[in-house]
Amino acid sequence: MASLSEEVLLVVKRVRQRKQDGTLYLMAERIAWGPEGKDRFTVSHLYADIRCQKISPDGKAKIQLQLILHTGESTTFHFSNGSTALKDRDATKELLQQLLPKFKKKANKELEEKNRMLQEDPVLFQLYKDLVVSQVISAEEFWANRLSLNTVEHSLSNNSKQEVGISAAFLADIRPQTDGCNGLRYNLTSDIIESIFRTYPTVKQKYAENVPHNLTEKEFWTRFFQSHYFHRDRISTGQQDIFSECAKQDEKGLNSMVTQGVKNPMVDLLSLEDKTLDEGYGTATVPTTSNSSNKSLRENSNSAIIKRFNHHSAMVLAAGLRKAEAPSDQASETSSTDGNSRDSDFFQLPLKKVKLQESIEYDDLQGDSGRKTIALNLKKSDRYSHGPIPLQSQHYTTSQDIINSISIIQHEMRNYKPRLTQVMSSNAASSAITALSPGGLLMQGGAQQTINQLVPTDVQIELKHLYTAAGELLRHFWSCFPVNTPFLEDKLMGHLEEMLQAAYSKFQVWQTRRMMRKT
Amino acid sequence: MFADDEINILVIVLDVNPIWWGQQAQREPQFTLSTCLDSLMVLANAHLVMSRTNKLAVIANLYQKSHFLYPSKQWKSGDEISTSSDGKYELLSVTNDLFAEEIRNLMDRTEVSGSHTDSLLAVSIAKALCCILNLWFMQIAGQDVKSRILVIKAAEDSTLQYMNFMNVIFAAQKKNILIDACVLDADSGLLQQACDITGGLYLKIPQKIALAQYLLWVFLPDAEQRSQLLLPPPVHVDYRAACFCHRNLIEIGYVCSVCLSIFCNFSPICTTCETAFKMPLPQMAKTKKKKVKTAN
Repeated sequence: MASLSEEVLLVVKRVRQRKQDGTLYLMAERIAWGPEGKDRFTVSHLYADIRCQKISPDGKAKIQLQLILHTGESTTFHFSNGSTALKDRDATKELLQQLLPKFKKKANKELEEKNRMLQEDPVLFQLYKDLVVSQVISAEEFWANRLSLNTVEHSLSNNSKQEVGISAAFLADIRPQTDGCNGLRYNLTSDIIESIFRTYPTVKQKYAENVPHNLTEKEFWTRFFQSHYFHRDRISTGQQDIFSECAKQDEKGLNSMVTQGVKNPMVDLLSLEDKTLDEGYGTATVPTTSNSSNKSLRENSNSAIIKRFNHHSAMVLAAGLRKAEAPSDQASETSSTDGNSRDSDFFQLPLKKVKLQESIEYDDLQGDSGRKTIALNLKKSDRYSHGPIPLQSQHYTTSQDIINSISIIQHEMRNYKPRLTQVMSSNAASSAITALSPGGLLMQGGAQQTINQLVPTDVQIELKHLYTAAGELLRHFWSCFPVNTPFLEDKLMGHLEEMLQAAYSKFQVWQTRRMMRKT
Repeated sequence: MFADDEINILVIVLDVNPIWWGQQAQREPQFTLSTCLDSLMVLANAHLVMSRTNKLAVIANLYQKSHFLYPSKQWKSGDEISTSSDGKYELLSVTNDLFAEEIRNLMDRTEVSGSHTDSLLAVSIAKALCCILNLWFMQIAGQDVKSRILVIKAAEDSTLQYMNFMNVIFAAQKKNILIDACVLDADSGLLQQACDITGGLYLKIPQKIALAQYLLWVFLPDAEQRSQLLLPPPVHVDYRAACFCHRNLIEIGYVCSVCLSIFCNFSPICTTCETAFKMPLPQMAKTKKKKVKTAN
């Protein structure tokens, strides 16, 4: 092996990469792989370059580890050491998990930002390719104006970014799959876990208490799904379940919500109940006897389900309304489940008034609020009615002319009889047709076609790119004025001129290429 | 495309300003009002023959009034219709006869007037629009009504009708009615604008005696068919505004921000609404001082 001046943290034998056997070395600052029997490393990546790692799922025959770099490339390592493959792979994964965060430089974030910008805006991307890749402008000048703009915007938008709510069906989305032999398999992603925690803070509490001291994550969730808490026919039977407390807490929350009621005077929830019209329409009202033993089992479970649904919906809504600083609210969780509770009694009366007024009045039916306007004072308004017809000297016809003309016409019309067979001579007609045929006197303007019909699309696209690139260069040029600092002067005199020359020579090349293509 | 499903309305607006035509008769005796009327009749007949459901109207515009030549009020259906001696399609012969009779009467009734010698073009086009609307209301459900107005222009533009004319053009545009223009003598900016806005054709005819040929070639096909034909290209329309002080057409000017009147020269007070504006001062003095300082 080459003289390793670096400290080797882990060596894994019998790791295949691209179907070649070799050894994987994890050093202090990089990970490297060399094929069997050779002295040098064929694959070497700095931890700083690695964006993330992926492992193949458990149960697959091939045990693999994939490294994805910031540039998008990925390298896959196949652990083929028979018995210890899985252990090796896991050890590698753990080590990488510890090392990678240390090497994430802050600059990478900027790089990500730049990549994101380039990917989002194809015009920008094209500009980047034209100018920076062909070395007309240096990369830092390109990003100089743009990054500053964007980071300010981005931080602003970050603060005011809307939070994503919780889908009410997140529990249903878990969708258990039968495992073959009488078992159920639940797929929990981190999104679902987060939704559960946000909606049911008591579960989060339990999680924090028990994991990782008493139970592992897997056990916790298994217990969660097994508990009656999760299943629908939940009846608090008082079992020694960690979740029985959650059930009691939920009951309490539900009761407090009911007692709080709704603050909107327009909404009267208490008047809603099942009414029957006749037999067969609606449910027959069962006289509510408070004797719980009279209620059939079915009704009991029905009301339990309905209660659970109501509670679940209320919790989902409350979780959406709750702000990001939820931990402080844990204590007052039950009271804040209902959005209305934020108004204390002090605000109740004005709120009621506002709501009543909203429902009575319509804004657009109100009269004008009597804004003060200044009337337009036009002295010579007849100017507007005169169109864009220049005042030409008209032929002034004398009254004698007028009388003459009119008498001529009248004389002619008196004897007018339509002679439709002798309207025009064939000579006149044929000359008119020639004038109207393509290329004739009247058809001259038609030969002009718009540019985008004459020029093929790839030339058009190239032209567009050149144009935007030229615009960018001009922007740099003009931003150097007024010349305040020697740096700008330098930039103008030396650098920018070079840039313009480079751009112009590019254009020359393109032009000659076009000429060659034509001939 | 079934013939019964589509109604094509053509309204011809003919400029029969007797002064211009009288002078024209003296200038060019071979092309007079009679020949023009004959050519128009040919076009009208051709239009009526193209389809059974095509409809026609002809309006003559004079300086005092505009008058419907066809359909005319004097025609009462059921009157004895002179059976044409040459076996022509009866609708055509009736049309031609009525047309001729109306124009004769009209010309007889013309009075001499010294003032107001401009043709009332805006009035005639407005009447044409009303006629089209009338016919439009009579359509059966499921029928498609397409209409266009053909303006034959002889005399010059009148400056007094500008506002009315523009209103009429925009009304036509809203109703998808094309305005075509066939100009015999002098180019008319207003009609060019009208054709451009509504999507019609503007043509200035080089040879007046071949008027019938131009009419049949260019103005007989309707809007749909025109897209398939090779017709004279649209002219370049001059949309420049005229300044309020001299009535010159200008490209760059000054606009008062209060009353939107256009001037060619800057003046501190707008003459239309009498608002005062401040003069823009040049900023030269400051930069000079700066330069002196850096040199020292």
